Amino acid sequence: MNKQTTAAALALALSAGLTSIAAQADEMKGDMAKGDMEKCFGVAMKGKNDCKAGAGTTCAGTASHDYQGNAWSLVPAGTCMETESPTSPTGFGQLEAFEEKQS
Amino acid sequence: MTIHLSPSYLSPGVSGHTALPARAGISLKPEHFRAIVETRPDVGFFEVHAENYLVDGGPYHHYLRRIRDDYPLSVHGVGMNIGGECELDIGHLERVARLLERYQPESFSEHLAWSSHGGVFLNDLLPLAYDQATLDRVCDHIDQVQNRLKRRILLENPSTYVEFEQATMTETDFIAAVIARSGCGLLLDVNNIYVTCTNHHLDPQAYLQSLPATSVGEIHLAGFAREQDAAGAPLLIDSHDAPVAEAVWTLYQTALEHCGAVPTLIERDGNIPPLPVLHAEAKQAEKLLQAQTENHA
Amino acid sequence: MNQQSDFTAALFDPNTSVSAALKTWNGSDPARRFDVYRNNVLSALIEALADTFPVTQQLVGKRFFRAMARAFAGAHPPRSPVMSDYGDAFPAFIERFSPAGSVPYLADVARLEYFRVRAYHAPDADPLDAKALASHLADSERLPMLRASLHPSATLLQSRFAAISIWAAHQGNGELAHIDIRQPEQALVIRPALAVDVVPLDSGSWHFAAALQRGENLGAALESVTATVARFDPVASLGRLIQAGLITSLQPAPECQR
Repeated sequence: MNKQTTAAALALALSAGLTSIAAQADEMKGDMAKGDMEKCFGVAMKGKNDCKAGAGTTCAGTASHDYQGNAWSLVPAGTCMETESPTSPTGFGQLEAFEEKQS
Repeated sequence: MTIHLSPSYLSPGVSGHTALPARAGISLKPEHFRAIVETRPDVGFFEVHAENYLVDGGPYHHYLRRIRDDYPLSVHGVGMNIGGECELDIGHLERVARLLERYQPESFSEHLAWSSHGGVFLNDLLPLAYDQATLDRVCDHIDQVQNRLKRRILLENPSTYVEFEQATMTETDFIAAVIARSGCGLLLDVNNIYVTCTNHHLDPQAYLQSLPATSVGEIHLAGFAREQDAAGAPLLIDSHDAPVAEAVWTLYQTALEHCGAVPTLIERDGNIPPLPVLHAEAKQAEKLLQAQTENHA
Repeated sequence: MNQQSDFTAALFDPNTSVSAALKTWNGSDPARRFDVYRNNVLSALIEALADTFPVTQQLVGKRFFRAMARAFAGAHPPRSPVMSDYGDAFPAFIERFSPAGSVPYLADVARLEYFRVRAYHAPDADPLDAKALASHLADSERLPMLRASLHPSATLLQSRFAAISIWAAHQGNGELAHIDIRQPEQALVIRPALAVDVVPLDSGSWHFAAALQRGENLGAALESVTATVARFDPVASLGRLIQAGLITSLQPAPECQR
């Protein structure tokens, strides 16, 4: 690719970017006008520092699963086993963003 | 041994910071960011855990800025390791200092506890053996924090589940000595008094009366969970995941008579209910605060 | 006296005890009361990991996840009081954790989840706006020389498995049953404003973004990707990356580096 073609290809590509962000800005304005802020803000993640105590003496701290050697008895048993569609959105406000960008 | 110069910021009222109002506040949780910004509830103040906001950017700072602009703010640290045997983490102290410079909260508080050792953060408020060596260490650490932050801090009495053989002082004598030596104030956690006194078979009224009333800068109220020790005696856990218990409301009434109307926080860290539920608990505290103010007038 | 050392060691090791240093008002066994602290410390660390890695937990089930998180917490306790950072070493731990060997994509799903949390708290920055972009287009001869500053929240993720589709299926997008887990995937994790986006990328777009991240100018990035990736579509790729907010500014490279 010579210098001119590179420049021309980039100009074309960046123009596409320009069109897409202009469209995005308009869409955002529309959402604001509708009062639909969910899309712009997403859902808050929980804070991880607090000063609460856990639920008593029964207990993560005393349960010990030794995974060295043969003592580890657990096997993965979640959606990794599933063949059906999971219906467990985790509520991070990501649904639209993902769908939109995947298509 | 540190030389105590009693800088001016240790005198209440000349701290250069406005005090929290003698009203009821609630813990600021990310789950409520939007509801607060959108409904602007009439809450006396909000309190955040410092460590949750030691991040560079994003929604936490976006919302804290907006909420702080409209409400008084208390910053409550959970990781300073005031009671630690190791030296304070200077990097952490600096980050907290920058957070306070950014938001200029009306109050900063920490815990009478340790939470880190040997570079490992244990993410819990761990108990101290109340003896002279611990007293010296705690006072030195508070001096260091107050000197760096250039403000008087409040120290919270803990919930504890064990006592140490080596202790030579009661918890209340220890706290009174820390306050007298370091000039810090007291964050009186009424739920912690109830939990600790139940767990160690002490009289909560007597515990409360033996603390220096004029040093109390804030009160905390929260819920606890109920367990049993190995002998079947009640063992209460400071779980912050339930409404304030009836016995704690009663003790709060005594606390108000003891210290006067003091800014009071409804603390909730688990099973976070919708904002109006927490606000209703705050209103209940505010009723008692108002009654206290009127009785005094 | 190293009381806090002993206390710390006993928190993580149920086989050690500090009971000799403790007392109780009723003479009951202090070990039971010490268990409250053990539980607090361990369950708080496990909860923190469960909050950061919700899909990882769903994939293997709560019981397995908690036991794995317990093993991780013992081996890698937090080094900082800021818990939002906790778990950066968890994906690599999962990769080496033999009981999870039957779920080969688990570590990459965990990486994606960690990058989302990191993006959430990353420094803020405004993506390149239309006006700035238009001014660069007015001088198209110089475009190949421009170097891009990337958004501080952006992370490029590459998986040998369909980790991104698997994660998306847990957000209600697509069905697990239809995913070929052996299909390598790429994504950009970014927070251009307040919400974190996971943007699936084709191989060309991913390599183009990676070239920009290495500091290559636009021309060099375009040429290197065109040479290595078959069917690279610069218009679609660059359009998508700009729309995602990856680029915050374009400026000429320093003179001596052109």
